[in-house]
Amino acid sequence: MSVNAPELELRGITKRFPGVLANDRIDLTVKTGAIHAIVGENGAGKTTLMSILYGLVQPDQGEIRVRGELVRFSSALDAIGAGLGMVHQAFKLFPTLTVAENVVYRNEPKKGWFIDRDAAEAGVRKLADSFGLGIDPKARVEDLPVGVLQRVEIVKALYRDARVLILDEPTAVLAPQERDGLFVIMRRLKAAGRTILFVTHKLNEVMAVSDRVTVLRSGRVMADLKTSETSPKAISKLMTGRDIEAVARPSLGNGGEHLLRVNDLGVVDDAGLVRLDRVSFEVQAGEILGIAAVAGNGQSELIDALTGLKPASSGSISLNGVDITQAEPAQRRLAGLAYVPEDRHRVGTAAGGEVWSNLLMGYQRTPKFRRGRWLRGTAVKEHARELIAQYDVRVGSENTLVGTLSGGNLQKLVVAREMTHPAELLIADQPTRGVDIGAIQFLHRRLLEYRDQGRGILLISAELSELLALSNRILVMYEGRIVAEFDAASTDEAELGIYMTGGHLAGAVHG
Amino acid sequence: MAETLRASTNRVLRNPVAFSIVLSLLIGAAIIAATGTNPLLAYSEMVRGALTGSGLRNTVSRMIPIVGMALAISIPFRAGVINLGGEGQMVIGGLAGTLAAIYLPLPPVLVIPLALVAGMVAGALWALLPAIGQTALKLPILISSLLLNYPARALTGYMVRFPFADPTVTSSSTVPVPESNRIPKLALFDGVSASLVLLILLLIGVALFNLRTVPGYETRMTGLNSRFSRYGGVAVDRQVVWVMLASGGIAGMIGTHLVVGETYRFLDGDLVVSGFAWSGLLVALLARHRPGPMLAAGAFFAALQIGGLAMQRNVNVPWQIAQVLQAVVIIMIAGRFVLKARRETAAVIEGETTVTGEV
Repeated sequence: MSVNAPELELRGITKRFPGVLANDRIDLTVKTGAIHAIVGENGAGKTTLMSILYGLVQPDQGEIRVRGELVRFSSALDAIGAGLGMVHQAFKLFPTLTVAENVVYRNEPKKGWFIDRDAAEAGVRKLADSFGLGIDPKARVEDLPVGVLQRVEIVKALYRDARVLILDEPTAVLAPQERDGLFVIMRRLKAAGRTILFVTHKLNEVMAVSDRVTVLRSGRVMADLKTSETSPKAISKLMTGRDIEAVARPSLGNGGEHLLRVNDLGVVDDAGLVRLDRVSFEVQAGEILGIAAVAGNGQSELIDALTGLKPASSGSISLNGVDITQAEPAQRRLAGLAYVPEDRHRVGTAAGGEVWSNLLMGYQRTPKFRRGRWLRGTAVKEHARELIAQYDVRVGSENTLVGTLSGGNLQKLVVAREMTHPAELLIADQPTRGVDIGAIQFLHRRLLEYRDQGRGILLISAELSELLALSNRILVMYEGRIVAEFDAASTDEAELGIYMTGGHLAGAVHG
Repeated sequence: MAETLRASTNRVLRNPVAFSIVLSLLIGAAIIAATGTNPLLAYSEMVRGALTGSGLRNTVSRMIPIVGMALAISIPFRAGVINLGGEGQMVIGGLAGTLAAIYLPLPPVLVIPLALVAGMVAGALWALLPAIGQTALKLPILISSLLLNYPARALTGYMVRFPFADPTVTSSSTVPVPESNRIPKLALFDGVSASLVLLILLLIGVALFNLRTVPGYETRMTGLNSRFSRYGGVAVDRQVVWVMLASGGIAGMIGTHLVVGETYRFLDGDLVVSGFAWSGLLVALLARHRPGPMLAAGAFFAALQIGGLAMQRNVNVPWQIAQVLQAVVIIMIAGRFVLKARRETAAVIEGETTVTGEV
């Protein structure tokens, strides 16, 4: 081990998954005691790279050195042994155990055959206090708020003597106030000589805490920059600068008529945090309104409130002139709302049901498919077969169980069902996620046709190129607010990226 | 010939239900042999006891409440609502039906149907309590319905001890249902209760509801994924109330049948000791809520229980052996289903990661 060796050194890391080159010859050098940010869009390869570094995934090629020493991790235990610690996005804690019990798990101080609970609690308290983490070792994990859980995870890593902490999108689950607290802790850890790998896609956070930043795009390193010498705009351009597919700029169908009107809509979550902050907008007939936002910035709450799956706390929603603020989901569907949910597994389908029963959902009470209380079996099956053919869903038959479908096919099934409704407004949340290129173009054409029939679409997508290609207008959401509105023809990914990541606030956060 | 025999043997062994029954019979044989009795003799006594002479009537009579309770439990179960309060609903309904049959001053043609209706209404109302608890107060039905079995027993016990006690007998029971007001016997199976007809009609009705109606479709989808149902516009809370009412209603009707059609007196604890509600729960699980298989599984369990008693009488093998057989069948079948389900999920997850795995 040489004295001047960097804490971490990755050379030529390559990882191929079926159909995707997730990491392509990635080089990364992280100095001891630095906060090093890794940024990139969804699918840029951040998660794969961190999984490789933490031993969860084995690279196809490339080498990893920790303090100059060549290592090969076959599991996370090896990585922990080499002084790495990871705080996952989804916390890995036992809810019914105490903080101390969670922290010492697998390294319990023992007194004879028994766990030395006092020593465990004292050790955890000392460690937590030395970094000002402010957690009670005796508290039960299930009683703690998310922000504290994250600090428990940090202590857990520190207890295992982690010199390098990997924080995987740590702010995604935090409210702004909690986030500032996390930054304070990160700076303290840095002052104590620990190294932090900070994975994020929020550029104001990069500017606020990091020393260096590595930008990934499509599995490659686009740049490795000193944070103080770069700008959110430059990073955003590096992150998103792919060529946008040329699509004829859409025109407004029979515009002017307001389909959906949202007025001062607010959502407060169970913990009392404001998730959606007085949002107002309209969707017109013949228009695709795009919403651009990084996950967790209020768009899910907005959609839940619009579809009636979770109630709004304040404000009003009207569809086709009918107030649906308090309406049940069924009434909203009758009022003319169709919805492609983001989570096709948990919301959009029932895995244990057949293709036909999944395609029927939402229509079962329409005259076409029932006679009184009786289901019209033939019409139901025929409808299923039609949709399967029209949308090229690859299934054995309409009786195939949906749980056996691949992700892309499942998505086609959900989109087929929702777009066939005679609804005036379609809410499409990530309509092309996980679908292959050919199918994406097919679905895009369908969305444009839908709009050309004089109907409206509210389109939420993590793919900015998709938003830019399809939308007439684009709203940008950040931390529960609409922070900007653009004419889709006169903006670009870099500009959207700055607003989505809070880059327009970067100056304020710094000061 | 040998080929076809082997093929059909294979087919039987690959069917989880048949496989489990064969295996549990083998395990039972080993236990019986250990007690010093010839297993073949014991089994033949069991079959004879369950299926010949008055044994057949007893088996069919026992099948009625088991299948009835299975049906009652299967309706909410299919919608993802676990009603463990079948026993309490049966007892409350049984008392209400009995009292109606005893005290209604009407001609028997009206009294018998009204008694069944009274039992249904009382059972349904008892089931409504946990339904409201869940929809209004987020109190899980699983727990509240189970706990409500105890006050149901206590309440009926009090009623037959004090307000409606028969002073001429020492046991805590009502007076007997007047002969004219009892559910008649059929000429079938050596005089089995006419409730059998009602049960068959109910089974057909539930099967049609499940497969052919809009609410039947909606309840099934809720059972598969309630978030999906809600998203599709199904009023899931209202559905919970309906399936619980139907469940409690059927349980109450079965309770009424057990007194007005079988024992004629409501005797405290009488409806509970036979454990019909719990046998019914197992049958519903085994048949996965499908009415046809429920009838088959219920008949099998009834035959096991009646045959077990005959075995004890005639060859001195304790009837608990029958319970062991029942338990082994259930464990085997449950194990097979879990394995199968796990394999299916694994396949799905694998398929999924290759397509959408976050990279």
